[in-house]
Amino acid sequence: MTASSADAWLGIAIPRVEAPSVVSTAGMTAEGLMDAYVDGSAEAFDELYRRVSPTLFGYLLRLTRHRERAEDLLQVTFAKVHRARGSYLQGAPVLPWLLAIARRSFLDERRHASSRSEDLSSDGTLPEPRQQDAALSVDLSDALERALDGLPDAYREAIQLTKVAGLSLVEAAEVLNTTETAVKLRIHRGYTQLRKELDSFTRRA
Amino acid sequence: MNSPDSDPLADLWRKPEAPRSEVSACIREQCTRKLQARRGMSTRTRLLASLALSVGLFCMLAWLTRGRTRIDGSFRSALFGAAGWGLVQTAILWVGLATPPGRRCSKSIRLVLAVLTPILFLTYVGFAAPAWVPFHEAMQGHSGTHVVSCGIVGMLFSALITGGVFLLWRGTDPLTPGLTGALVGLVGSVAGGMAIGVGCANQEGWHACFSHGFGALAFTALGWAAGRRLLAP
Repeated sequence: MTASSADAWLGIAIPRVEAPSVVSTAGMTAEGLMDAYVDGSAEAFDELYRRVSPTLFGYLLRLTRHRERAEDLLQVTFAKVHRARGSYLQGAPVLPWLLAIARRSFLDERRHASSRSEDLSSDGTLPEPRQQDAALSVDLSDALERALDGLPDAYREAIQLTKVAGLSLVEAAEVLNTTETAVKLRIHRGYTQLRKELDSFTRRA
Repeated sequence: MNSPDSDPLADLWRKPEAPRSEVSACIREQCTRKLQARRGMSTRTRLLASLALSVGLFCMLAWLTRGRTRIDGSFRSALFGAAGWGLVQTAILWVGLATPPGRRCSKSIRLVLAVLTPILFLTYVGFAAPAWVPFHEAMQGHSGTHVVSCGIVGMLFSALITGGVFLLWRGTDPLTPGLTGALVGLVGSVAGGMAIGVGCANQEGWHACFSHGFGALAFTALGWAAGRRLLAP
């Protein structure tokens, strides 16, 4: 057995020496792009990133409610994807795969953060609490976004994944590590709360 | 309850915004610098290697213990049992690992599989035992020592197979790594349990349950914990 075949037997993905492939990414599915990226196509990565990064970033932004943390986590997520691309199983839906990695990165980061007693700003002082925008939102979308931010984490995530990221109930259940019924219930309860918030907004407006 | 097709808020959701261009540039640099093909083993290769590992270690133990005196017919029935559980193992590997994450059968079905199969295996081991002695007799003196030593060998074989299967599938499941890990532990422990069942001459009921069958419960639980670390990218 040669060294490389021994490595393959052990499941260790070793970069091959052949030149990266150049592929046309037009009309490719996200799964096809992921495959091409695994085969070494930078163009495929660019296209994949262009397609999925807003969804991933929006999801992380909603989880963290903090732009810089969301951007950091987006980098962490793609670093993990880059390292793990050899273990991507062909045919696996890419968006749930990426969202699950993003969610895990967020949970890891939150666990580390909770072990610290307080976050200090760069000059060593306690950070100021975030100011709530007092002004009434000018349109219904703003009100909806604000109402969504006010929902419990579980409801917000379920709605974000299914309504904004466009995952199916089954995919969202996989990402959230729960059952389809639980996701349905969270969406239903979340929507009930959202509707109340929007009703009161329209009355005030 | 709202179905996804009749979402009353569908028009109100904002399109997600893109990250800042400098962040995107940084990520692109990180992910495309010296980019080369990096394809791991195919799903089929991983599946076949997992089965080969189980079968290989099973055959090795059967070969090493071939000269032992056994109750008439027990070796043959153990082999038939092993063949049957080999099929169960293959089905679990197919359903729980070889199908790409996101396209697997529902989590509830896999959860039921992970909970019921070890119980069924333990029940099978108990039923297949040709003789039972009182519990205190089985656990004292030479019999008791044999329960422990045989259990350790069984655990060792289960650990070898489980570890090998984890290695073959590591980093492949970000969606349900704990559950998939439990199935890996189950596959390894069933193979280990059957191997020690064929290799061990003592087919007494308590001995078989504790030394040959109990590993299925233990390794399924351990696999759950290990899977969260090893199978998630």
